[in-house]
Amino acid sequence: MIQRKVWIIALFCALILPIVLPYLTPYESNPSLIEPARAQAAWGCLWVVTIAWLFFQAARFGDDTARSGLGAYFLSSGVSGLSQMMQIWLACLSFLLPLVLVTLAVCFIGAMPSDSAQAQMWIATNLQYAALFLLVVTPLMMVAASVGSRFGSTVGYLIPLCMSVYGMYGVGYLAMMTDVQSNLLLDWLYVVSPHYHLADLTPRLVFRHGSMLSSEFLQLVIYFAGIKMVLAMLSTLTFQPKPAS
Amino acid sequence: MNPPSVKPRIHLACGLSIGYGESLARIENEGGGIMLGDGTHYLLARNGRGKTTLLKTLAGVLKPLNGGCECEGRTQYLGEDLTFDRELPATAIFKAFIKKDKYAEAIDLAQTLELDVKKPYGQLSTGNKRKVALLVAEFSVQDQGRDVLLLDEPFTGLDTFSREVFQKRWNHNQDGVLRLVSCHPDFDSMEVNSSVLISDGKITHVAGDGNAQCWGELKTQLN
Repeated sequence: MIQRKVWIIALFCALILPIVLPYLTPYESNPSLIEPARAQAAWGCLWVVTIAWLFFQAARFGDDTARSGLGAYFLSSGVSGLSQMMQIWLACLSFLLPLVLVTLAVCFIGAMPSDSAQAQMWIATNLQYAALFLLVVTPLMMVAASVGSRFGSTVGYLIPLCMSVYGMYGVGYLAMMTDVQSNLLLDWLYVVSPHYHLADLTPRLVFRHGSMLSSEFLQLVIYFAGIKMVLAMLSTLTFQPKPAS
Repeated sequence: MNPPSVKPRIHLACGLSIGYGESLARIENEGGGIMLGDGTHYLLARNGRGKTTLLKTLAGVLKPLNGGCECEGRTQYLGEDLTFDRELPATAIFKAFIKKDKYAEAIDLAQTLELDVKKPYGQLSTGNKRKVALLVAEFSVQDQGRDVLLLDEPFTGLDTFSREVFQKRWNHNQDGVLRLVSCHPDFDSMEVNSSVLISDGKITHVAGDGNAQCWGELKTQLN
């Protein structure tokens, strides 16, 4: 039964680590930094837990559905492949949403600025961060489930993992390369790459830059919603509720 | 209980061809095709002749290569490889699949079958895992409904006692339920009222018309 208790570790990472980790730094030199550090740890842990654990869960659910024969059973009962994929996705969301709420709670209770104006800004930034985070990771969970159903849990896990790491960090390196040398292919690759790093508002929280302007935030929401639609369509095409014959 | 107003039905149209890429079996010279009504029908064939393929095609999991087939009624396909979450006990699986009013009856039958409903599914023997799947299918059948159960090798791993319990239940619970059961009977005297045979790449229907045939006679027709 211990295999199915990994959620306790995930909850521990999201709830306890953000409180403990800042105290492992030389915080005595500047105690005011401990609150931003807590927010940084909270969001960092959430990203890690989601990428390391939830993507794998989604891939495994997809793989299990196809492999166990349950997908074929539900298909025969009139539950379409799309409906099955959405149900797996919603099951994963039922893990993810509480973790996002825990992260917000840590930021609001354990790292809220005392100044009321800054507190309002803090709340707005964290809510914007939560929205962008969900817009980035939820379609990737759908990709994990659908690819997992067709190619197995390992491939189903690795693809969204690589996409998220590339979108968070790889695109930055690509930007440096396009700055150094002008290459049409690299420019084109940079444009079509998913710029998930834009959803990472941790620096705003750490350096207290304040929330994003509404127009700027809306642009990002539209951008990530567009990626979400593309990934949802590809996932629908990829999902296979029955084992490969 | 009033009999259902509309009966479940399976129709395999003449010209139906099944398989993966190339035809495994097809219906020829069967007039208007094969029509099955409620009751239990056995799907009999040697290994690799297309029993599972036919059931999957009927379930809508596979597309026919040619022609058409239709299941009229609420269909459930229980594949031979159907498994549930290995950490869940049968009680949790029943709660997920079976309606509340039938849950107690399912548990009663599970006890008759000596199935440990509190043991995690992954720790059950092959036969007991099969019992869980069969109980799920049996008790998902709606009262006064139109149910089509496509059962692929449901007796694999089952002991004779359990198999007889299910067969007795099927005989008593035929109205509104069509069961198409693929199997390899293990004794020649087993009576078969209606059977769909796949032999030499042809799908045929042998109806007993009230006079049951024995497996011993039918198996001579298989190749």
